[in-house]
Order: sequence, then structure tokens, then C-alpha cells
Amino acid sequence: MDSQLSHSVRLTAHRRGGVGRRDFLRTLLPVAGAAAGWQLPTSGGYRDVLGLHAAELQQRGKACIVLWMQGGPSQLETFDPKPGHANGGETKAIDTNVAGIQLADNLPHLATVADRLAVVRSLTGREGEHQRATYLMHTSYLPGGGVRYPSLGSVVASEIKQPNCELPPYVRFGGGRNQAIAGGGLLGTTFDPFIVNVAGRSPENTTPTTEPTRFRDRLQLAARLQSASGMSDVDEHRRLYEQASQMIMSPHMQAFDTQQESTEVRESYGTSSFGAACLAARRLVERGVSFVEVELNGWDTHDNNFVRVGALCKQMDQPFAALLKDLGSRGLLDSTLVVWMGEFGRTPRINPRGGRDHFPRAFSAALAGGGIRGGQVLGSTEAGGDAVKDRPVSELDLFRTIYQSLGINAKKENMSSIGRPIKIVDGGEPVTELFG
Amino acid sequence: MKSTVRRRALGTSVALMGLVLGVRLGGNLATAAEPVPPRQAAAEVDRLLNEEVFRVNPATQLAPRSNDEIFLRRIYLDLVGEHPSPAEISAFALDPSTDKRAALVDRLIDDPRYGRNWARYWRDVIMYRRTAEQALASAAAAEKYLTEQFNRNVGWDEIAAAFVTASGSVFENGQTSLYMAQGADPNDVASEVSRIFLGIQIQCAQCHDHPTDRWKREQFHELAAFFPRVGLRRAGFAAQMPSITLEGNDSAPLVRRGMGTFGTGSQEHFMPDLKDPSSPGKQMTPVFFANGKQLSSGSTDADRRSSLAEWLTAVDNPWFAKAFVNRVWSELVGEGFYEPIDDLGPDRTPSAPQTLDYLAAQFAASGYDVKRLFRTILRTAAYGRESRSRRAPDQPPFTANVAQRLRADQLYDVFASLMGYDPDAGMPQTPNPLQRFNNGARGQFNLLFGYDPSARREDLTTTIPQALTLMNSQLINRVVSARTPSTDLSKLIQAGKDDESIVLELYLLCLAREPNEAEYAACLEHLKSTPDRAAGCEDLLWSLLNSKEFLYRR
Repeated sequence: MDSQLSHSVRLTAHRRGGVGRRDFLRTLLPVAGAAAGWQLPTSGGYRDVLGLHAAELQQRGKACIVLWMQGGPSQLETFDPKPGHANGGETKAIDTNVAGIQLADNLPHLATVADRLAVVRSLTGREGEHQRATYLMHTSYLPGGGVRYPSLGSVVASEIKQPNCELPPYVRFGGGRNQAIAGGGLLGTTFDPFIVNVAGRSPENTTPTTEPTRFRDRLQLAARLQSASGMSDVDEHRRLYEQASQMIMSPHMQAFDTQQESTEVRESYGTSSFGAACLAARRLVERGVSFVEVELNGWDTHDNNFVRVGALCKQMDQPFAALLKDLGSRGLLDSTLVVWMGEFGRTPRINPRGGRDHFPRAFSAALAGGGIRGGQVLGSTEAGGDAVKDRPVSELDLFRTIYQSLGINAKKENMSSIGRPIKIVDGGEPVTELFG
Repeated sequence: MKSTVRRRALGTSVALMGLVLGVRLGGNLATAAEPVPPRQAAAEVDRLLNEEVFRVNPATQLAPRSNDEIFLRRIYLDLVGEHPSPAEISAFALDPSTDKRAALVDRLIDDPRYGRNWARYWRDVIMYRRTAEQALASAAAAEKYLTEQFNRNVGWDEIAAAFVTASGSVFENGQTSLYMAQGADPNDVASEVSRIFLGIQIQCAQCHDHPTDRWKREQFHELAAFFPRVGLRRAGFAAQMPSITLEGNDSAPLVRRGMGTFGTGSQEHFMPDLKDPSSPGKQMTPVFFANGKQLSSGSTDADRRSSLAEWLTAVDNPWFAKAFVNRVWSELVGEGFYEPIDDLGPDRTPSAPQTLDYLAAQFAASGYDVKRLFRTILRTAAYGRESRSRRAPDQPPFTANVAQRLRADQLYDVFASLMGYDPDAGMPQTPNPLQRFNNGARGQFNLLFGYDPSARREDLTTTIPQALTLMNSQLINRVVSARTPSTDLSKLIQAGKDDESIVLELYLLCLAREPNEAEYAACLEHLKSTPDRAAGCEDLLWSLLNSKEFLYRR
């Protein structure tokens, strides 16, 4: 490195043609000092602890929270139990607060909010491989055809994001690996999810590694150097840095910090990290975020299904129920659609390892809020769960229903990179019985 | 590569008709018998551009020739994917010889980093359109294979043929990566072979006749009919390595089945009946749409794929040379003759047709000599001009170079170099290639900063997560640290350099240029006003790494 240094210093002297460094400094300092800085957040200290005013909280429109059960959750141990049939295994059914509706005994908390839930038992899909089905249930398309289809969250963000919201319009808790699947696709990286790996605290890279004042100084220095460089076309870069730095210094970032909630509220969501993410999702939606996806991984129960699904339901049941109650008590449930789903269901027949395998032919999803009428079960499966008995709902129908709830025209066409029109959903019909 | 094809009488006459048709469709290349030397070819390219674009367009205002500093960083990033070192910057600036730019091109194109840089580019071309994440398991093999081919300067025709006729372990034979990326699905493989090697988006005709081009649905499925007998086979684990092989099978081809399992498929490709999706559809014979040549049904997998490889790369198929030239030109000059760069036709007009035809003809005549094409383009005045913003549609093309966003690997290497680290040290030791690719620091970085090289560049912008990483991540904190002994910054401070030298060095390391006087002034003022000098230096480095200029090659 030393020899490189002396090279460079000689070069500088050579290039300057003898102008002394003190001279040029004297000449140029005032000019450089006047260089315009970036517009920086001016209020108080970094990430001020400010209470949110009611008016701010009202600046939001419709929103959607997807509770994504990665791996393919068993419908028989959740929303479509089959007690009394050999396929049902050891899972029992319990009554709910709606007469005539029963859920699996793994879901005691959800049984208390069944009046808010619409359970779809007749979902029928066309893909039984994890990646492809995950793609399908995020985009409504199977992969291929040279098109990168945008995910549900990206479409929602691009269609209904709140213009003044300082937070990212599409937040995803967990699943960094699924970035390619759950991304903006042809809508561009602007609509990729903002991924949070650990729920409950500040997301990765949103806390400066230096003191707040030094961070501000750095931003100002960077802005000053950028303008001194004389480079053109820097406006977009400047705006992005303004946006990013405003975001992380915004009091709204507290939405990620669930410790801001009372002990009572936190305890209502249980102790799982899925629960913390559900609570954070409510806090985000409250502050104008349009789409939040919360992932719970581990549903690929090829063996030991009953124990494993029971443990997963313990993590999922209480937060899901708490989320619906909490949204309801805050008057947010009418404008917020909550969807529980995974990429497919599981085989009704129990395999020799006490597990269930992939089964897209007949499985369940649950919806609440966003104009969905709670307290109903739509469709049913045969006694053994092997097939849909009535009111089949395709994944396209499900997507049409979600978009209808959010007021998004699913027939709208976006252009692929080569100018090919791609409908948000190609086919299907909204399930009208679910509304009103 | 000679195919032993039994053509039926009908097939032969169709093939002959197709030959005539092919000429009409693609426009024949004015085939040059002997390629001219790059210097001469470059001059001809500039002459043609002047004749067909600049002279006839009154709005033409050519950007001046870029200075040595800009040219040096540009050529380093374009050829070897890394910054020049401060010593190289000094040496180049002080070199008085007039042909130093051409000499530099000759030196860098034989640097082994050249092959690696372009291998990573093509790895991304293939991988960004993958239909399953598992395909990333073959990414490292693809990079290794392509690095060797580019460094040995194997012809592009041989490389393309190897990809089409590939077989064997997807973790060892990088040529298999295109099939792996598409799960060996005949429709998806056909789409990608056409898009990548011909720049033709025939997949739009998969479900209906192409809305704007003249390709018919049948032609798409005739192309897919080259691939029904090749499949991926999972052969379990051997020595803790998952084993997946790509195999042709003429009796019982392997296919993916609906429920995530593998099974036996049909020996032939069928075009689905849109009116009756449950019927098997129409059996298709393999026909190559670009020249109309065909095989009989029942042909072996080896015949199908070797015939396609031969026809695809034949000199009478103008798309093959044009697609490659268009891509390389676009990467180097900043704008393609056709945009998007993988959508050539057949009914689109390039922005400078004679220039493209000339370059493509030279490329074909040289036996698809990739290094020679680089040497030619890099010697043109069009490449060497200063860069400007992307032009408006009514402005003439190629009057300036256009700034290009650095690819993730290039950024990562600059960071690694500033940290004083081997960029790929600390790679996970797992034998599973997928985990190795994804979990390494480079893989994680690529996940965030990578982009599809075929995407329209004007659509690429910095994202919020990228900005947050550049501002606040542990990675950046380590890169700018004045206290970690291995970093360039701490070495500069340890060496007792004065403020001005440190400012100069940081600019050379981050932007490969000297600071201008306003920048010097701002930096020195900052250092003066910061009580902790090391912290002040860290601030400077942080600011440069968060500039737009750092993320782009000008």
C-alpha cells in the first residue's frame, strides 16, 4: 500500500501544476461550505418518542394482513377436522361461539372469535410442490413463461399504498429466502417486501451504527460531497436517501417495537415470535402500511403430524385470535382484510410415519375483516376429506376475493418488460357469498 | 456435432422452404469471409454510426472523449469487474503513450478476472429467470464452467451448443444450469434457449399466436418438441452431496409430476388443446422456427438436441450473432441496438441496423470470437465517450456512453478489497451446493444487490433496503472502520499520511479518481472540524460509499 500511496501523491503534485494546497483551500472553502445539504428531518432527536396523534392514525386506507403458513398446513388439524373418520386421526372438533361451526381442538382461541371468521373448506389448487405452490399462492400464477409475476403484497402496495406513509407499504416478517417468490416482479424492486427477520424490535439496518448526531453529520457530508462532485442525475438517489433516512428517524418506526404496547396487549398475543409479528402487523397497519405478511414456517409435517401441528397451532392460534379482537376493538377490522393460508393442504390419509403429505386438491383457508362476513363456513369436503364436496374455490377465486375486498381491480393489466399485458389475476371469480 | 438425422421426404421440403423463409425473417448477415482486425472494425463501426445515425440527425451532439480516469474505471469494471488500484490509476495517468487504452484492453482481456466477471454476468442471465429456487444449486458450477470458457476464449457457438446438449451432474457440469433453472420443463427450456441465444421471445406464443410478432403457437411448441426427452433425476445423496443429474432418456423420459414427485413422461411433446385442456393435445415434431429445419418424431434425445445446437449456432441463423452482439454492446456502451436487449424481433427495427449487421457479420466470420468482439467494441469512439443520462426517445442513440449500475459481485468485491479480506473467505463449509451459494456473505449480498441483467436498466433504481444496508449494516461498518487493522483506511492512518493524502487515497479507492477541488475542500474542512481524526476519516469513507457515483460505472 505504501508504494501506491507515494505514486498517488506524486501524481497529485504533478497534476496540480504547482498550485499550493493552502491557496486553493482558501479560495474554495466558502463555495464548498455553501453547498446544499440534503433535507434532513429536523425534529428533536433521532427516532423521537412521540405519541401518535389521532389524526395521523386516520390517514390510512384499506390494508391486508396475510398469515402465511409455510410448508402446507393440515386442514384436518385446523379448520376442517374430521372426527369420527379414520382420516381424522386423534384430532377432535370443538364448538365455537357460532352455533353449528366447529374447529379442530388445536384452535381454542380462534373458537372464541369464529363470529369474525369466514372459513373456506373447499379450496382446490393445482400444484403440490412447495416452491411452485408458494409462488402460485403468492402471485396467482405458476412460475414460467418468462414473466416475473408480482406477489399479492407487491400488487397491493402498488395499487393502494398510502402516499404520505413514511413506512414501507409492504412489510414481510420472515422468509428472506422467499424474496424471489414474494417480490415485485414486473412491477419492479420498488415493490419488493421490506423484510424483517426478527419481529418485535427495530428491523435490520434501521439503526445507525453511530450516534444520531454523527449520523446526521454523515448524511450532510455525503450530500455536500455529492453536490461538489458535479455529477448529474443524482436527484433520484438524493430522494431515496432522504426517504430512507426519514423513515428510520421517523417516530413511526416505533411500529416495529412491540415493547411500546402495554403488558396486557402483549400478553394477549402470547409469547411466540409469530405473536410479536402479528402485534407488529397491527401496529404497522394502524400507521398506514398497506400489506403485511407474517410467516409461520414448519407445516411440512410428513411425519409426527399430530404433535408437530399441535405445537404450531399453539404458536398460531392465540395471536391470530388476538389480532382479530385487537383490530376489531380499534375499529380497524372493517378496513383490514386478514387472510390465513399456506401453499396447499395435507393428505387426509395418514401415512405410516404418522404424517400427512402434500395435498392441493381440497384444503382450507380463513378470512376475516375487510368486508368479509364472519361466522360462516363456505364449502365442504367429503366425509374423509379426499375431495371438495360443494362450492369449490380455486386459488384464482381466492385472489379475486382478496382483491375485491381491497377495492383493487383484478382485471387490470400491467406490462411485462417486453410489453406483454399481464392481468393481476387471469381468470376466476370473486366468492360473493363471503361478503356482506 | 454432426447430426445423423433421417429426414422424411416431407420434412426435407419443409426444411427447404424454411431456409428461404429464414432468410426473409432474420435478414441475412452480409457474411464477411475474413474478419478484419479489431482496430479496423472499430473504425468501421464509428463510420457506420456516423453515416446512419449522427449525420442524418440534426439533433446529434456527440459527447467528448472521456478522460483517462473515467475510462480507466470504466474499462476495469467492464472487463475484470473490479476497480483499478491506486497504483494502476497513477501509472495509467502518467503513461504518455498514445495507444495506452488499446494496450490496456489487451492486457485486461487476458486477465483471468475477465472470464470470471462475464461468467457471473451470464450466470445471472440464466439464474434470474429460474422457476425454482433449487436451481441456485447449479449457479456455482455455471460460473466455474463459463469462467473457463471465456478465459480460454472458446467460441460463443461452442458454449451455446454445450448448454443445449448438456448432461450429467448439475453440480459439476455448469452447462446444465439452463435446464436446471427451468426444471427441465420443455416449454420453459424452449423459451429460455430462444430468449438467451436468439433474443427472440417466442414464449409469448406458448398460449396464443404472438400478439405483435409473427410467431405462431405451433412454432413455439415445435421448438419445445426438441426437449421432451431430457429430464432431471434425483439420485439421492452420495457422500453427503445431494445428487441431481440431467439425462436424456429415449424410452422413459423423466418429468416433474403435479404432486412434487418425478415420474415418467411422454417421449414426444404435445401442444395443449386450448378448447379441451384435459385432452393430450397435438403431438408436435421438432422444427426450428428460425430456419424451418425439422426432425421426424421418434428422433432420439441426442439427435434432437445436437441438431438444435447445430442449427441454432449456424452462420445462416442471423439471430444468434445479433443477440450476443446486442447484449455485449449494450453492456459496454450502455444502450442496446434493440431494447429490451433480449427482444429482437422479427418485426422490430434496431436503432442502427447497418452497424449491428456489420458487428454481427464480423462476429460470425470470426467464428464467434468473444474476445475479438470485446476488443472491437472497446476500441470504438462510441464506447470511449463520456457518459450522459439515458437519452429521450426522440434523441439520437450512441452519442454518449450511459452510466451502468454495478452488479452485486462487483460491489461486493470492492467492499471486500476495502476490508482487506478475501471476498470468499468464510464460505460455509456445507457440502450442499445450494446452501453454499445462498448462505455465503456474497450470496446474501447478491440477494439484496443483484439484478436481472436482462432487465431494462432505466427501471433499476436503488431500493430502500439497499440504502439502509449501505448506511447502517455491519458490513459497511466493518468496511469503513479505522480501527480494524486489515482495512485500507486503518492502513492509511497507520502509515501516518496527512489529511490531503488520505482524502486523495479514499477517492482513488472508492471512485478511482482524484477529488476535484471543491471535494478536497469539503473533506479537509470536515477532517479539521472533527476532533477524532480517525472518526472523521470514517465519515469520509462512509459518505463516498453512499454516493451515487460509487454505485455506477460512468
